[in-house]
Amino acid sequence: MSFNYEEISHNEAKDLLRQWRENNERRGKEVLELWDVVLREDVNKLGNEKHVILEQVIYAALDCHMYCIAMLCLVMLSNEFPGSLRVMKLKAAVLEAEEKFDEALELLDNIIKVDETNSAARKRRIAILKAQGYIVEAIKELVDYLKKFMSDVEAWQELCNLYLQVQDYSRAVFCAEELLLHQPHSHLHHQRLADIRYTMGGIENLELAKLYYCQSVKLNPDNMRSLLGLYLTTTNLLNHYKSSGNSGKRKEVWKLCHWAQSKATKQTQPTSQLSQMMLSLAITE
Amino acid sequence: MPELLLDPNIRFWVFLPIVIITFLVGIVRHYVSLILSSQKKIELIQVQDSQVMIRARLLRENGKYLPRQSFAMRRHWFNNEETGYFKVQKRAAASQNPMTDPGMMTDMLKGNLTNVLPMIVIGGWINWMFSGFLTTKVPFPLTLRFKPMLQRGVELAYLDASWVSSASWYFLNVFGLRTIYALVLGENNAADQSKIMQEQMSGAAMAMPPDPKAAFKAEWEALEITEHKWALANVEADLLQSNTE
Amino acid sequence: MSAVTKFKENKPEPVAYSEAALRNNAVVVEYCRTSMAALSGSTAGVLGLTGLNGFAFYVFAVVMLWIMFLVKVGPHWSKYFITRQSVLTNGFFGALFTYVLFWTFIYGMVHVY
Repeated sequence: MSFNYEEISHNEAKDLLRQWRENNERRGKEVLELWDVVLREDVNKLGNEKHVILEQVIYAALDCHMYCIAMLCLVMLSNEFPGSLRVMKLKAAVLEAEEKFDEALELLDNIIKVDETNSAARKRRIAILKAQGYIVEAIKELVDYLKKFMSDVEAWQELCNLYLQVQDYSRAVFCAEELLLHQPHSHLHHQRLADIRYTMGGIENLELAKLYYCQSVKLNPDNMRSLLGLYLTTTNLLNHYKSSGNSGKRKEVWKLCHWAQSKATKQTQPTSQLSQMMLSLAITE
Repeated sequence: MPELLLDPNIRFWVFLPIVIITFLVGIVRHYVSLILSSQKKIELIQVQDSQVMIRARLLRENGKYLPRQSFAMRRHWFNNEETGYFKVQKRAAASQNPMTDPGMMTDMLKGNLTNVLPMIVIGGWINWMFSGFLTTKVPFPLTLRFKPMLQRGVELAYLDASWVSSASWYFLNVFGLRTIYALVLGENNAADQSKIMQEQMSGAAMAMPPDPKAAFKAEWEALEITEHKWALANVEADLLQSNTE
Repeated sequence: MSAVTKFKENKPEPVAYSEAALRNNAVVVEYCRTSMAALSGSTAGVLGLTGLNGFAFYVFAVVMLWIMFLVKVGPHWSKYFITRQSVLTNGFFGALFTYVLFWTFIYGMVHVY
């Protein structure tokens, strides 16, 4: 979005910023532009929203690597609220962005010591470890964190990703199941769980993967990934069953496979290469 | 029933001011309680406990989407006799006696102070200041039993019970403006006393920390009796069926 | 009113309700109900209704509000509310007090003075 900076008034700028805050949109560059041209002139005119806007600008500045602006706002905030935990968290974010990881970790540790229930500080610690590449330590810390804050859905999701990164599939499955417990009606969770089980291989896992793919398709018939996943799983299962001669099971799986294939072809455009390739693996009988 | 003629001055100097006073006092009460509300320091253990309860409840409700083995594994982790979470975690039985627990004492004091006290003080002041005359007539017939209550300060045996004094008008205001506060101040406003009274009556539903042992026991039992009904057993058949329709 | 994200599966399966949407709808209904109580109370006061007439008018107003909600929501009311009856009876007594207040107030202003 381009703004006509000559004409945007102070209040309009404030409104835009508030809208972005409420919708959780970062929009770093635009926030900084608004800040530069319109708002910096008179910080005190910002009124009630001054501190929240300063926070928003700090994050925007960090997103765009403009550390001087971030420090400026940070100094303004810390003058008003000396010793505040929230300001300390912002300071830690600034240090983290400048890659001064040790100082950031120290600061976060201080915050945690003061306020043990501060989950955001703990999560930033884990993020820093991850950014430095210490995945194993990050996993350890995250597990520790989850022992205390068991219902934190984001954390479970992050742990699942980390386990996938180190290819510890069984634990990743555990995390994905936790996600499912929290949000059982989300087709994406079912599909992810099925993906992991399919990757693990083995007949039981393939059967479970098939069931989860089916559920995911039931919840959202447009989920192309689950359809193709279902198709691949059933193809694989057919291969297994071919050798052991379970003709009953084989028939069911074949029906499902066929159905998935037809559904997928109906929905794909002829130009989608991946789907074409997968469908060309069709077993014809 | 004769219509009494009331001095129009009453209208301006009593009737309206009482409404305005009640309304403004309510709003002031809301902001005062916001200022006075102390930062509750929550212990890590309490957070951990409440999160565990949430997770156990979710397991009970949504466990049917997990395969039997995963469900059993988790239930085992919670309920096992030697190592289960609900069995192992010992919590000091925190006393709910408000006399000994200073945190709760101050909370109760503050609650009483900001809510009941202004009502009594202002009710009394209005009674003292605006007494001796009638304020208004309520539009519905009331029995004679209400007379002494509603007609403080005016002793006329003949008078219809519908004519009320200022104190009763004040109380009518207090009750009637509750829902308006919800409009003006948004939800969770401290000026609405009915919610507070309801909370006191329903017992501390939120204050699980004082008694985690009982909560754990309840959760343990609930988990023991949950059956695992594998929800995805028929999903293939359903899928194929719904599509061939 | 925001639509409830509802997921309907084959017959015996449960329906998933979006908590946030339900709560939002309840708040909106409460708001309308309070405004309705205020307005109808004032009307009753102006009209000079007394006693049972006044309460009958209140019930009438509540039912009118309910009908207006149903008309606005249309045939797919199950997308917004769990039951139609809950829209009718939630907050009945809270709004009743507001109604009586405004009724007494306007009655006093208009008829007594």
